Amino acid sequence: MIIAAIIIVPLLAALAAYFSKSSRASRYILVTAAVIHTILSACLPAFGEPLHIFSNLELYLDDTALPVIAATTLLFLLTSLYMFSWLKEDQARENPDKSSMKHSTFIAIMLVFLTTMTLTALAQDLGTLWVAVEATTLASAPLINYRRSKTSLEAMWKYLLICSVGIGLALFGTMLIAASLNAANLGLSYDILSVVARTAKYNMMWFKAGFVFCFAGYGLKMGLAPFHTWMPDAYSEAPAPAAALISGSLVNCSFLAVIRIWEITPASLKSSCGGYLKFFGFFSLIVAAFFIIRQKDFKRMLAYSSVEHMGLLILLIAYNHHMMARLHLISHSLIKMALFLLAGNIVMCYRTQSIAQVRGLFARLPKNGALWIGGLLLICGTPPSPLFFTEWQLVTSMGIIPGTAILLLLLIIFCGMGYCMLKMTEPAAEKSAVDENVEKLHTVPGAAITLLLMLGLAIGAMFLMR
Amino acid sequence: MTQFNELLLALFFVSCLMMAVSCRLLHCIRLVAMQGILLGILPLTISGTFSLEHPVMSAVNFLLKGIALPALLYMAMKKADVKRELEPVVGYSFSAAIILILTLFSFYITNKMGTPVHSAPLANIAIPASFTMVMTGLFIIIARKKALTQVIGFLVFENGITLFGAAAMREHPVIVELGILLDVLVLVFIMGITVFQISRAFSHVDADRLNQLDDLPDNGEVRS
Repeated sequence: MIIAAIIIVPLLAALAAYFSKSSRASRYILVTAAVIHTILSACLPAFGEPLHIFSNLELYLDDTALPVIAATTLLFLLTSLYMFSWLKEDQARENPDKSSMKHSTFIAIMLVFLTTMTLTALAQDLGTLWVAVEATTLASAPLINYRRSKTSLEAMWKYLLICSVGIGLALFGTMLIAASLNAANLGLSYDILSVVARTAKYNMMWFKAGFVFCFAGYGLKMGLAPFHTWMPDAYSEAPAPAAALISGSLVNCSFLAVIRIWEITPASLKSSCGGYLKFFGFFSLIVAAFFIIRQKDFKRMLAYSSVEHMGLLILLIAYNHHMMARLHLISHSLIKMALFLLAGNIVMCYRTQSIAQVRGLFARLPKNGALWIGGLLLICGTPPSPLFFTEWQLVTSMGIIPGTAILLLLLIIFCGMGYCMLKMTEPAAEKSAVDENVEKLHTVPGAAITLLLMLGLAIGAMFLMR
Repeated sequence: MTQFNELLLALFFVSCLMMAVSCRLLHCIRLVAMQGILLGILPLTISGTFSLEHPVMSAVNFLLKGIALPALLYMAMKKADVKRELEPVVGYSFSAAIILILTLFSFYITNKMGTPVHSAPLANIAIPASFTMVMTGLFIIIARKKALTQVIGFLVFENGITLFGAAAMREHPVIVELGILLDVLVLVFIMGITVFQISRAFSHVDADRLNQLDDLPDNGEVRS
């Protein structure tokens, strides 16, 4: 029941929002749907009866997907609260002749996007998982084109084409894996995550081919280098709430798909397949480090920071830190959402994304500026940040040479991000007044950062107690 | 029946080759439609067993891939007002050579890996055909400039995957199959709209000239 409700409610809300008369009504619908979704998600672990769709395909929440759905619903709730005031402010500042998307349409697409992400977390077979992940691409693409400008159109086209081809590769991989299964006693060919399949025998060569395709496809959707190229474009062009959701929860869905594939990988293939994970994890960190130093656009810089964190997540999985990977996933989602919302506020105030043109952040947006610096420290893993613990676990477990390399790359990234973000707080040449309207938008990112700090302190206390 | 199936599969190879050498978009769309229709017929004839799900899926495949998607592409082509792919990245004769090499390569791969346990009869031809289509699709996406041709390439790629599913897997869960088809339909729909918007905003549909967003040093100016 709950599972059916959690999928149907956002869809109905999307319909209602699409046909609602005013921007105000659709905003209320959005927040209501987000609250209901959060409540239903909280009920899921305890009362979520598996939902049978057709023969023996099931939808239910398992242990692996728990952090993903938690991050999705929390982020959506926070983003919808932010959007409530953001849309009004954005409309007031936007030139009337500019043809941004209608608010009701934007909100409706957002709610469909929420449905697809929920479906991804609940899918229990590779076929449904693929359908859901592809649907997240389709639902998020129009969000990027909110401004309807030339550059946002370009970003949307690149996102659509690159991600669709990537997800297509994942479908091919899924079919290769399904074909590699030797067991005859399975009802359906995609039902690979079931218990029967875990003990089944695979044709190793076909399975490995399938793994490579799936990893390439879902890895592309996650933003692992060298398939990350859509990421900076999409993030820099998407409006703040869409960028926050895509960077915060969409990438988690693809990461969940990678974990699902990794979980069914037979033990004899773990070492060779793990090699791919490690290679692409490292490569993502290197690429992120190179592109973050000397970055001129702060939203693109945040996108490369996402590439870095996806690399770290994959490394955590490859080195078998599953609990730490969950912690990393949730913390990264929250902090990245907060940073993208803050970046959106800064863009709204200064009307530019160029680091060189933003000066005197503390004078014009004191609270946003303070949170911006707080976010910088948290995302780079400064001690009370939960990311510190995950990165520490990773580095200490991987041996001296790779560990040092990771630390070095993290240092470069920290310096690059710190340089860019601190540069923006330098005092400006001329004095300017505080921008009160934008300053009011600091509450949601502030709440996210506070939440994260508390989480970090709690984990720190647990470490000390042991 | 075997001969009929062999003929159908041969048509897939031929369509790939023709797609690589044709410069008219309408021709490419017709070839994609032909592939879709073949994909509708093939599941009925290729597998030894007969079940109720096959005719349903065949009909859906036929309607969507053979008629609806090509129609969408045709409409996008009309609206964006493009007819030909004039300056491809890779020339037409060279493309043909590459497709032939890819075909050989896919036969080599299939021979090397063997066919999966549950594959249909004739899988030793159907699987290379599907690999060839997948690679041709990717090749078209890389080697052609027009945004619409890239969508056609994506459809060829998708058709290849469908053919692989028909050839190498056991029973398909129909709901997943329908979900996949729905995704592809929506995708092509959105892409068609985007192609139209690109043609209106930029007055061309060359994907390689969509290069305002870049991180490489020669394009150093940041937009404001």
